[in-house]
Amino acid sequence: MSLAEKMADTEFLGREFLVWLWFRSETREGVFDLEDIGTVEIWLDGKMTLESEGEERGEKVICAGAAARLKEARFALTKNKKPTQATLRMLKGDDEWSFSLDSAWLNFSSLKTPKVVQDVREDPDGLFYERMFLIEQPIAVMDALFSRFVELRLSPEWDAEELPAMKDWILGRGAWVGVPDRPPEP
Amino acid sequence: MGVVRGSLNCTRFLVNGEPDEGFREAAREKVVRYSFKRLHEDSDQERAVGWVNILDEYQRGFLGDEYFKEPYIALSLRVDTRSVPARALRQYCREAEDEIKEREGLEFLSKKRREEVRDAVRARLLRRAIPRTAVYDMVWDLQRGLVLFGATSTRLCDEFAEIFYNTFELRLTSVYPYSLAYRLLQDKGLRADGLNDVRPFGLDRGAES
Repeated sequence: MSLAEKMADTEFLGREFLVWLWFRSETREGVFDLEDIGTVEIWLDGKMTLESEGEERGEKVICAGAAARLKEARFALTKNKKPTQATLRMLKGDDEWSFSLDSAWLNFSSLKTPKVVQDVREDPDGLFYERMFLIEQPIAVMDALFSRFVELRLSPEWDAEELPAMKDWILGRGAWVGVPDRPPEP
Repeated sequence: MGVVRGSLNCTRFLVNGEPDEGFREAAREKVVRYSFKRLHEDSDQERAVGWVNILDEYQRGFLGDEYFKEPYIALSLRVDTRSVPARALRQYCREAEDEIKEREGLEFLSKKRREEVRDAVRARLLRRAIPRTAVYDMVWDLQRGLVLFGATSTRLCDEFAEIFYNTFELRLTSVYPYSLAYRLLQDKGLRADGLNDVRPFGLDRGAES
């Protein structure tokens, strides 16, 4: 199988990861405890793009704005559409990042880091290392979360617990009725 | 926009293989060889691509091996392009064709002749065009074998992978969900074969069932 074929064949992994991340961030108030990283808060914020899979591939829904709170996006999930791009915010300690993540490559775009302290004229290398430190953190967090998702996806727990809970959340039934539908206070 | 300042768009690559012993010496020579060279004002070259200092895109060449920033190699890919606006090209071609017709007493110009005129006019105008400059940062984590490139367009990523190979003699593979999952599972000492059996779940039918 060529690289392009393999990519197309497994593209759903990225889409499912974004659904799962959304589910987890909304039902656990955005808090994730990650090994070697610590506690981070993550929530979906702003624009989300969802696309159909299978025969209806190509149909696209774009949801934007905090006011919508992604209700349309959640409705689209029930219509066999999954996220292909989502805007996320991440809080770690006092630092905050925002970025978009796409499902096809898990590429970051519009990644905004906390402000740097170093001055480019006084210490250019210092600025470089500080920026790298700030850029690598959301990447490491997303890798850790993706790793957690993949491990769960391959485990019996996925079909037994995670997927049924996620379906309940999508339909707003069961334990997820009345789940806070807002991002944590920064 | 990039690693050093502004917001960042980035694609990740895995480096296939590891640098060999003489890598640093070879890199010093190759980075200079593939460094950015400005479009010559007398040429009709449309595009110039090459490495520049990530901290100073306007610096000519490199002072030393300032791009080695342990444990990284950090460079920027500068891409200068120049083009002739289509309307300006049509205008100047028309004027050139009219001049030839008048000088040679011709009613019409053949297709071949018009193409020659067009190429000559285009080359002349290109020399007058001011290049557009774009810079894309690249950081290679030598310890982890990962590369961060500050662009997401396929064309640019392909171009970057080629110049990376020419410079460092190592191929890059784009990171995508399956390859990342495989690598993360292996890093944890877990079996990754199960990934090949996973099939997408349907939320509509499943959710309603």
